[in-house]
Amino acid sequence: MKRISGRIRLALFLRSFAVQGSWNYQTLIGTGFAYVLIPVLRVLYDGDREAMRSALRRHVEVFNSHPYLATLAVGAVARLECEGAQEALIRRFKNALRGSLGSLGDQLVWAAWRPMSALLAIVVLLFGAPWWAGLIVFLVVYNALHLGLRSWGLQTGLREGIDIGNALRSPAISRWAHWASNTGALLAGLASVLAVSVFATGPTESGITALGILAGVALGYRVRSGIWVLLALVWIGGIVARMVV
Amino acid sequence: MPVALLRVDERLIHGQVVVGWGGHIHPDQIVVVDDALAESPWEQELYVLGLPPGLEADFVSVEDARAQFERWRDDPRRYIVLLRDVGSLRKLAECGTLRGAEVNLGGVHHAAGRRHVLPYVFLSEGEWRELEEVADSGAEVSARDVPGAPRVPLGDMKKP
Repeated sequence: MKRISGRIRLALFLRSFAVQGSWNYQTLIGTGFAYVLIPVLRVLYDGDREAMRSALRRHVEVFNSHPYLATLAVGAVARLECEGAQEALIRRFKNALRGSLGSLGDQLVWAAWRPMSALLAIVVLLFGAPWWAGLIVFLVVYNALHLGLRSWGLQTGLREGIDIGNALRSPAISRWAHWASNTGALLAGLASVLAVSVFATGPTESGITALGILAGVALGYRVRSGIWVLLALVWIGGIVARMVV
Repeated sequence: MPVALLRVDERLIHGQVVVGWGGHIHPDQIVVVDDALAESPWEQELYVLGLPPGLEADFVSVEDARAQFERWRDDPRRYIVLLRDVGSLRKLAECGTLRGAEVNLGGVHHAAGRRHVLPYVFLSEGEWRELEEVADSGAEVSARDVPGAPRVPLGDMKKP
């Protein structure tokens, strides 16, 4: 089996940012996938133009995945290619994987991590931080997971190859999604209390606001739906504001 | 209606089905009808990775599905039945299995020989004829990718 050097790994990682660059209804991210894989194919089919062409043609076929988790597929397919796996096997592998990578990524990133990062930035702003601080908080927190996923996916795919299911079945991903959506609910509560607390000026009002924040923290962890927390806390906040006025 | 969704979608179990349709109809069970997959445990393992906790998927051959379809319809549990291609659908529809059933075309993507019908439906002439056969057997065939999108009946589609 051919080794995949550190330089090629880096090339795959960097190219993975362009995986959606030619998104289209015919192949979805298929052409992007082939583009990311090119450094590996170049090693395997060095000098054989015909073989290279046919490998590329195979990989521009329809493929889909969450963009960050696409590196898992790239890594695993790179390993399969290096092991000399049959075309039909690789095709079946890609087909079986694409739905799962899409749905896992949707649950973890779009439905949990992104809203949580945005809420965290809003809370930071409500605490009176300047606008650029909120921006930085969002970008740093969001991209910590984003870049982490891309890099973990590539390493895991290259290591596991066709056994990638073992890595994905680990409960870590769903635990992260669960944790992120709980934290998001908590932050939604905190944000709404902070939003109304600007009305609280005296010591009593501040005390009530502090209670509201505590309630937000407690409810956030208990109630999974951020909307209920939000409603409850806007209500408490409304009382606080009325007492002040 | 125990077969809450009978869908042709190459991607089988994926975000649109699990999150989009799943959130809409709250299925108790997903059944994937495909001859090759029914005999391939390693592929099944990859397909079920994207399922949310608590939801399970069964993989059965077309013939088994035809034998069990009646039972799924009468079962109080809600089923999502997924097929990979129009060919399997036509085989399932043999003997009038799908009479009165609603068939949803969700994602049949571009491949050699297929032509654009809708942004998410590409069909070959052969597949179009097979769909007409399914419709003639008494099924109601239409396309819709996600629950909120408009439903496009087979009669309104442009023949490839």
